[in-house]
Amino acid sequence: MVQIILIFIVAMIGYLGYFWPIANVQRPLVMGMLTGLVLGDIQTGIIVGASLELVFLGSMAIGASNPPDMNSAAILGCSYVITTGAAVAQGVAIGVLVSMLMQIVWNFIMAVLVPMLGAKADKYAEEGNTAAIDRIHVISGLLETVPLAVLTTIGFYVGSEVMEGLIDKIPSFITSGLNYAMGIIPVIGFAMLARMIMDKKTACFLFLGFILVAYFNINIIGVTAIACILVAILLFNGNQVQVVKGEATGHNEF
Amino acid sequence: MTPVVEKLHKDNPEKKSRALKRGLDFMAITPQLVPFLMGINAAMEEENANNEDFDDNTIVAIKTSLMGPLAGIGDSMIAGTLRIIAAGIAIGFSMQGSILGPILFLLIFNIPALIIRYYGLKTRYTKGAVFINNAEKSGVMEKVTYAASIVGLMAIGGMIASYISLDLTLKIGRGEFAEPLTNYLDMIMPCLIQLGLFGVTYWVLGKKVKTTWLLLGIIIICIIVCAIFHL
Repeated sequence: MVQIILIFIVAMIGYLGYFWPIANVQRPLVMGMLTGLVLGDIQTGIIVGASLELVFLGSMAIGASNPPDMNSAAILGCSYVITTGAAVAQGVAIGVLVSMLMQIVWNFIMAVLVPMLGAKADKYAEEGNTAAIDRIHVISGLLETVPLAVLTTIGFYVGSEVMEGLIDKIPSFITSGLNYAMGIIPVIGFAMLARMIMDKKTACFLFLGFILVAYFNINIIGVTAIACILVAILLFNGNQVQVVKGEATGHNEF
Repeated sequence: MTPVVEKLHKDNPEKKSRALKRGLDFMAITPQLVPFLMGINAAMEEENANNEDFDDNTIVAIKTSLMGPLAGIGDSMIAGTLRIIAAGIAIGFSMQGSILGPILFLLIFNIPALIIRYYGLKTRYTKGAVFINNAEKSGVMEKVTYAASIVGLMAIGGMIASYISLDLTLKIGRGEFAEPLTNYLDMIMPCLIQLGLFGVTYWVLGKKVKTTWLLLGIIIICIIVCAIFHL
């Protein structure tokens, strides 16, 4: 029972992610760690969280659209692996499935219920009632989060009992198929990000980063450092080259 | 915005009502840049409250015109670059189950993000919107976006090579000389499979295929292949 309450609290921390001064608490990396902490196996929690983080790396709220729900995915995926001792890939697969189902519920709340409150807020604005508008902000914040956290907790309560019975019945080709799929799926996130920020001018840098790791085994910290130096060279020294060129042509005229 | 509006338009209910309605207009922007915009907004509302001839439509106009460029730069710098780098570094530690991973993730992302938030609110409130218009005209915005996308793309490129795994254990050759297919491909170029997978996914996403279907597709293909080859 204590665990169920704690899971609910973790879920609320995640769903209220956008309201904390510290950002990205709702990402699977952190949620996985917290779930692990509640269930007494922090290491497994972090490993599952990291795998899910890779899967969802490209998912984020752009404009007014909702990404798949990562909180329930991390919480239920991690608790599945920790309570049943299943492979990480299975936990990730369950997380992905849960996130899609929860996204539907979330979209319903955002598309149907929150605009109704928005209409109310417009009316209060007409009357100049600031206190009521503040109240609406709080209510819509809770409306977006509490139902989802409750659903996650129910999933945790029901799921861990049902899953334990199921685990032995899954045929091996499905588990190994999932294992392969989980190795590949992060590529979707990378491709989505690249679609967002890459153009013809910058595509070469993606390959540069790739080759640095593929051939020289530099880690991401190293790649980032090299990238920063490159930017400095391109932006600061680029101007100097132009100046020097200008001077050079100036000299030629003499 | 309600505390600012309440303070500035206390004695003028009509202006207050209009200001509140403006506050509820649609906004879509990177969360870390919200204080930046609110600072500008607060400064303009103050001007509006003190100056009788101020046309309050300019507030809406400036807010809307800043939304695009700010969100563009914010999404590419903060959500597209800073978060990716933070996650890329943290996942390396986390895969081994180290608690350093999540902690580093939060620190690397939040320290710069909080600084941006704090100074965003402060400097923009004092200097107004002039700065951002100048920056846009002089091409500084473009340069910053360009720089951010270089760093972001290099990190993504690196992660393609290090965080995607697909071992083709299918053996080629006979007896002693049998070697997994992966080894042959690595001789051509290390991580060639990863790059190929990225290319295919990138192309498919360009065909406006929804990510959910892509995700399910990969899972189903993997399961079918495993069922056929009894892996």
